[in-house]
Amino acid sequence: MGLLLLFNGFNGLIQGAFYALMALGLALILGLNNTINFAQGAFMALAAYFSFTLTPYVGFWGGLIIAPLLAGALGLAIETTLVRRLYNRKDPIYTLLLTFGLAFIMQDMIRTIWGAQGKPLAIPQFLNQPLSSTYFFLTGYRLFVVGVALAGTAALFAVLRFTRIGIRIRAGNSDLETISALGVNIYLLRSANFVIGIVFAGVAGILAAGQLGLNPNMGDALIMPAFVAIVVGGVGSLVGSLLGGLIIGLASGITTAFYPAASEVVIYIIMGVMLVVRPRGLMGQEGLFE
Amino acid sequence: MSAVLEAEGLQTYYGKSHILHGVSLTVGEGELVALLGRNGAGKTTTMRSIMGLTVPREGRVKLFGRDTTGKPPYRVANLGVGYVPEGRKIFGHLTVHENLLVPPQTKGPWTIETVYQLFPRLAERRTSKGGRLSGGEQEMLSIARALLLNPKFLILDEPSQGLAPVIVQEVMRTVGRMKGEGMSILLVEQNAFLALELADRAYVLSDGEVVYDGNAATLADDRARMEQLAGVSHAAVDIRH
Repeated sequence: MGLLLLFNGFNGLIQGAFYALMALGLALILGLNNTINFAQGAFMALAAYFSFTLTPYVGFWGGLIIAPLLAGALGLAIETTLVRRLYNRKDPIYTLLLTFGLAFIMQDMIRTIWGAQGKPLAIPQFLNQPLSSTYFFLTGYRLFVVGVALAGTAALFAVLRFTRIGIRIRAGNSDLETISALGVNIYLLRSANFVIGIVFAGVAGILAAGQLGLNPNMGDALIMPAFVAIVVGGVGSLVGSLLGGLIIGLASGITTAFYPAASEVVIYIIMGVMLVVRPRGLMGQEGLFE
Repeated sequence: MSAVLEAEGLQTYYGKSHILHGVSLTVGEGELVALLGRNGAGKTTTMRSIMGLTVPREGRVKLFGRDTTGKPPYRVANLGVGYVPEGRKIFGHLTVHENLLVPPQTKGPWTIETVYQLFPRLAERRTSKGGRLSGGEQEMLSIARALLLNPKFLILDEPSQGLAPVIVQEVMRTVGRMKGEGMSILLVEQNAFLALELADRAYVLSDGEVVYDGNAATLADDRARMEQLAGVSHAAVDIRH
């Protein structure tokens, strides 16, 4: 039982690391771009397919770096041509509908280019080995996923804490108008922020594909939990989104040990309880929802 | 004297409410102009129209001879316009130092080091969160932030609002010093006497229209006129001493 719990708990944490990466990207874009980006899952899938195509030429590692950047470049094109036009409409419903539509278009593009059939994403052989026979579930790849999630998160928080662009993103999250009046080009800042969010989605997508394989709808399975992570962690707080992702991943993993059938629904139960008890989420701003 | 600001016939709305009804004003080089008026007269809206924060539906804004009507605020700011907004608008969850890293670094005498010299209190509190500062410290931070753009033109919206008289004096001394250094300044104040002490010229707004345009000293001497125009109370007079 102890081993089973450890196994499922660890699985849950890996899942949570995915959710946290996804949720961070979503939360960034929700904050500064005031956009509920429903296409985030499609960007994930797209980056994974990019890496699938690139791997024969640049290897897994090259793909892991280049594919999210390609997805980011597409994100930049979409932000500057489409999303930006809707910033002046205060109601987020407009960008939500836009990105919802974009998600369908992108998924169909993937289906057209790469086919509807699932595909495996080749990962380096040494990452596939279990670390020991007792802890057979601790493959190198799983540790690697957690490592990348940690590194990505640390890098993001370092940028937000120590660089001018990061400080401006934080300032702009609370008062976009004032940073503009202080001379900050908010169009450029919002584009940069959008791209960072998409790159995060891309990395998460490739990591997921390494484990679960590729299919055009792969983003759908991960985007809902990412939204749940944001609600649990608190809208407007990146640390909250990170915690929210880990918590629901862990909860889902542990539930699997006891009652596998409830492992998916448990995250929605947590969200429901949170919305009743503390609508602002773990670290959300006071007064936003209560 | 060349004009730093020429605003002409500004008609500005918030949604359907018509706030400014054809406001025109100018600020000359090196001039300190006071903009006075009762609460809700349209002073802040005038400032916002100049900065591009609320785009006027009609009328033109020219800064340093260039038409900036409809330009986004960051473009206006980067022409060399420092803006100290009403209510200071400090980023409360950022530290003092981080607040100072928001505006772009520009060439000129004002750097983070020199604004710390100007306001030593801010240097002492550089790691404190903006939201934990006193009103006076927040005002200094808001002014410091605007100075980092090395502006040729400074717009101050009610810098004395909610501050203790001693602090108000200090803020006004700073404004006077900026004028002494040749900066052109547009100063919005409820406390008319304070503003008129420093100002060369004054405008009085009432219900979104300019009702006085002229010499600051003349207006300051004519107390009856001032009470009628700007609703200056005797309490405001007392605060001066």
